[in-house]
Amino acid sequence: MALINLEDVSKLYGFGDATTLALDEVSLSINKGEFVAIMGPSGCGKSTLLNIMGLLDRPTHGSYKLSNRLVERLSPSRAAKLRRDTIGFIFQSYNLLPRLTVLENVALPLAYKGYSLTRRLELASSMLERVGMQNREYFYPSQLSGGQIQCAAIARALVNDPTIIIADEPTGNLDSNGSRLVMELLSEIHKMGNTVIFVTHNPELTRYATRVVYMHDGLVVQDETSDLGQVAKTARRNLYSVPRKSVEDDLAGVSLLMKVMPEDDKKDELAEEKPKSKRRKRGTTIRRRS
Amino acid sequence: MSFSPGHIKGAIVTMRANRWRSLLTMFGIIVGVASVIVIIGISQGVKRDITNQVNSYSKNVITVSSRAASVSSFGFSTVPAVSTLTNQDVKALAHLKGIRASVPLYLLSGVATGDRSYPSGVVIATNQNLPLVLNQSLAYGAFFNDQNSNGFSAVLGNNAARALFKGSIPLGYSFTWGGQQFVVDGVLNKFNVTPFSNNTIYNDAIFIPDIVASQFNHGSSSVFQILVKAKSSAQLPSLAKQISLTLLRTHSGQHNFSVLLPSQIASNSTGILGLLTELTIGIAVISLFVGGVGIMNVMLVSVTERMHEIGIRKAVGASNRQILMQFLIESTTVSVAGGLIGIILALLVDVGLRDTTNLSPVISWQVVLISALISIMIGIVFGSVPAFRASKKEPIDALRND
Repeated sequence: MALINLEDVSKLYGFGDATTLALDEVSLSINKGEFVAIMGPSGCGKSTLLNIMGLLDRPTHGSYKLSNRLVERLSPSRAAKLRRDTIGFIFQSYNLLPRLTVLENVALPLAYKGYSLTRRLELASSMLERVGMQNREYFYPSQLSGGQIQCAAIARALVNDPTIIIADEPTGNLDSNGSRLVMELLSEIHKMGNTVIFVTHNPELTRYATRVVYMHDGLVVQDETSDLGQVAKTARRNLYSVPRKSVEDDLAGVSLLMKVMPEDDKKDELAEEKPKSKRRKRGTTIRRRS
Repeated sequence: MSFSPGHIKGAIVTMRANRWRSLLTMFGIIVGVASVIVIIGISQGVKRDITNQVNSYSKNVITVSSRAASVSSFGFSTVPAVSTLTNQDVKALAHLKGIRASVPLYLLSGVATGDRSYPSGVVIATNQNLPLVLNQSLAYGAFFNDQNSNGFSAVLGNNAARALFKGSIPLGYSFTWGGQQFVVDGVLNKFNVTPFSNNTIYNDAIFIPDIVASQFNHGSSSVFQILVKAKSSAQLPSLAKQISLTLLRTHSGQHNFSVLLPSQIASNSTGILGLLTELTIGIAVISLFVGGVGIMNVMLVSVTERMHEIGIRKAVGASNRQILMQFLIESTTVSVAGGLIGIILALLVDVGLRDTTNLSPVISWQVVLISALISIMIGIVFGSVPAFRASKKEPIDALRND
């Protein structure tokens, strides 16, 4: 049974002439234990999709079943409870509270769960140990490097023992070392049986994923399973077919897909992709290319 | 979890992070609470003093005044141009049963001159019973009595003694009044002065025998007041009634006089005080209200500023209720801190007043407790709108807000 099941989910922003279609009848199902990478150009709806899956946002149309339960129209308090119990968030900009120490930040979700202060700090401390941050417990976020902050954020996402980890460009602000640290942590979490969904611009990071979903203009245009340790095929095509400008571009996790792709290639690719997407829209299942 | 020590700790952390802002926000509450406590304290203190004084100086004393001279609505004794009380009244009252002593007070005009002239002094003609009736002893010398000397003797109020003569103890000194030499027989102890009471006059007065005074006014001096001391407090009401009836007879049925019991004098004196207190408390309440609006304003700004934080908290599982509680507790912490500072300030002002003035404010724990409760209430009432706004924000909208 699919853990996450989206059917014809659309999301519209604004109204009247200013309406923007962020998601266009997306259908997607994710099973327990999958490590899903979502790729695509900026503004293609990746984050919107994540926010809806993470119950931070509601779809305008369509249905969303989480663990076989319809959740797209939950009351705010029930949605909060579900977020608290089953979902852990990791953000590109870390989103730790600057006035709290690392330990207090990690303990925050437990406070909303009703744990006592000592229990909270105990659990948070052991979680920080798991991500290798035990000697930074009493530091403030401003005193840490990006990689360290993101590790703390991961500890915060994990502290509630969620089944789903949702990460929106977790390595977007990190250098190559930070990226590796964070991805290896996520990979470990995945090995322990958690479902991890993350958005990235960096094709290299698809090595960690078991499945890669490509999006464009609010549509899922490609969905492939990928072997662990291998860059996904579609991503590899983009990664190796274009000349690299410098090593830094690659390592910094900057979007190679969009940034250095020659204009002609992009047009070709779009022309090739468009008809497929139309076909998929009518069907309910998504064709995967293996 | 809807309330925890963590919330308060968080609120204190936020307050410390914005120290100046928090302090300025609290200002209205501090001023409001401090002024309520101080004003009520002063009024209670003065009330207590007046009651004490009535008990010590006017114990069992019924004050008979001319109607026109009765205590006006503002509590000040006004001296009438023409008094309705006469010598006949004094004589009639002297023979009533249950009376221990009665004393007429005649107000006389004219300036007394001793070593110095004393234009602000008051000359009061009275009889030898005055110390007994007012329960006041003499600092020096003795009070004149009807039997002694030639009659041209006088007793001075404490202030008058110092104003008329250079020497510290003016016994045996003489002064001129109305073309006549008077010899000082004694000086009264100082009357404790409280606002809005008669005693101020006694300290400034020169007392001369009434027999002498009648010579100056051809026996028709008008009586300012007649003080009648009852034998016991149980007889006070019946005696007052008797006095009224007697005076009605001598005044041919005209009720142009007033008969006041000690308790009525106290209540008259405190009436004006009550009015002033109510007025000032009214202003303090406005200050508290403005302070509350200040808290609301700052909390609204704070909520807007911290929208991103609200988003993060909601993303990690905070429900609307929990966010509501967080901001309510923050606003309440600010107002309670303001209230506590206000209470401390009030205590300091109290100490200062005791040191520098003759007021001794009474600060009761009830008033302090009520002020603390009011400050908690202000935090909750004025914090609820911003807290509600914070809690209702959609998590994704809050997160987008940077």
